[in-house]
Amino acid sequence: MSLPLAEVGFAEATWIMVVKSIVIFLVVFMIVPVLTVVERKLIGRFQNRYGPNRVGPVGLMQPVADILKLAGKQVLHPSASVPLLYAIGPALVIFSGITTIAILPFGNVKDGVGFYGIDVSIGVLYFFAFGSLAFYGLLLSGWASGSKYSFLGAMRSAAQLISYEISMGLALLGAIMMAGSLSLVSIVEAQGTIWYVIPQIVGFLIFMVAGFAETNRAPFDLPEADAELVQGFQTEYGGTRFGSFLLAEYLEMFVVSGIATAFFLGGWMGPGPGWLDPIWMIVKILALIFVFIWVRATLPRLRYDQLMSLGWKMLLPLATLNVLVTAVLVVVT
Amino acid sequence: MEQVAFFAGAIGALGGALAVVALRNPFYSVLALIVHLISLAGLFLILYAEFIAAAQIVVYGGAVMVLYLFVSAYVGGSEEPIWEAIPGQRLLAPLLAAALFIEVSIAVLGTGLKAIGERGPTLPAGFGSPGSIGELLLERFLVVFEAASMLLLIAAVGAIVLAGRRREAGPGGAGGPGQPGERSGARRDQPSPAPPGTPGSGAEEVAR
Repeated sequence: MSLPLAEVGFAEATWIMVVKSIVIFLVVFMIVPVLTVVERKLIGRFQNRYGPNRVGPVGLMQPVADILKLAGKQVLHPSASVPLLYAIGPALVIFSGITTIAILPFGNVKDGVGFYGIDVSIGVLYFFAFGSLAFYGLLLSGWASGSKYSFLGAMRSAAQLISYEISMGLALLGAIMMAGSLSLVSIVEAQGTIWYVIPQIVGFLIFMVAGFAETNRAPFDLPEADAELVQGFQTEYGGTRFGSFLLAEYLEMFVVSGIATAFFLGGWMGPGPGWLDPIWMIVKILALIFVFIWVRATLPRLRYDQLMSLGWKMLLPLATLNVLVTAVLVVVT
Repeated sequence: MEQVAFFAGAIGALGGALAVVALRNPFYSVLALIVHLISLAGLFLILYAEFIAAAQIVVYGGAVMVLYLFVSAYVGGSEEPIWEAIPGQRLLAPLLAAALFIEVSIAVLGTGLKAIGERGPTLPAGFGSPGSIGELLLERFLVVFEAASMLLLIAAVGAIVLAGRRREAGPGGAGGPGQPGERSGARRDQPSPAPPGTPGSGAEEVAR
């Protein structure tokens, strides 16, 4: 029996859905540790040093060592913390990261199986709905840590996420209007003739900038700001709970890159036979993640007031203008 | 499946709503309110109103409640009550609550209960999807929709005007004037955050 809840574009038998959820989950989870070592090696190269190269051949086993180290640490909480909320915080962050993977399309329907977790009619609103739950993960973990640094980091992240979520949504609206659908699968299919990155270049750039802010990545990593806030909301966390923040950061990066790929870079489309579709999707996502790492190695952190004025005075009007112009063009043509 | 989802949503919604009133710490009250709103979104899903469910989480669960949480995390935890009790409050409150309950009961009994024993209406295709809601808003209920958006616009402009007036009220006032400028001035004196490639961020890399 398939779920009667809400309307979906295409639904299979329950066991197929379970199997494909597990496959998508495992693939993404295999990618995350690889990403950590790739990021460290790349940043090493950008900074003219080697990066990790001791564990395994050319340092490739580094993530295994990291995971074992994090998993082996004692789980403790500071005496000033609120234990239950302190434990819920990282869980919420991970939860929102994992649930949003479900709507990334890795291919069209083939042999009765859709190559995506679920094709909901509300489409990208699903991403924003679960993404907004990630706020609470950060806010709760910062507040429940009972530490000033954590609290300040959490407050910064809340303000930052609210400010940039609006620009992010507006940036996608142009592509949504051109495709005439909210569903990611239909949006990718609508890009058969031209990828939306060309007509929607402004939307793409705004989305990527807002994406850096939403994932708390440099140059918008003020909530963590090692120099002033000693990692912000993560200060009091250690062991697996700290690891889950790290995991969530990479998951969010993957999801934001995936959404950008589906909306602007033609999703799974690429030359070659049909079974290459998921590979193309993953290759494009990894290319965008490379941009994330590149930007981190290139740009210094913004000041807090610069961050706010960039979000509200630059990105928001630009995104609104982009939506207006696109709307006029869509109606005229 | 529907039953499980319904009872999970209903228990979450009722429990959350009760906890909002019962908890003493405003921070926990806000958290309970979030649980309540998200459970409501789940109930909307069962009713095939997925757009409303998503909007509920994005707007209320996400944006509005983050602001509540923000404020209560900053000012919460103070022991003295922020309001003054009205005389006779303890007597008046249950009376008013009972009156409201009777009123709502009359409304519900008068209209809604007839449908409970039946299968309910058949849904038109695309019911509750963003497309059909957009059509309803922009064609059938256009005037109402525009009036509501004008109201929101006026409220937003009003908020900006009020905030601007407080800033003009003169420097030195608590929480208002000149603070943004002051803050950025103070920050300008600090050394700017270390660019990547300096020892600071290199050390962070090693830590990871």
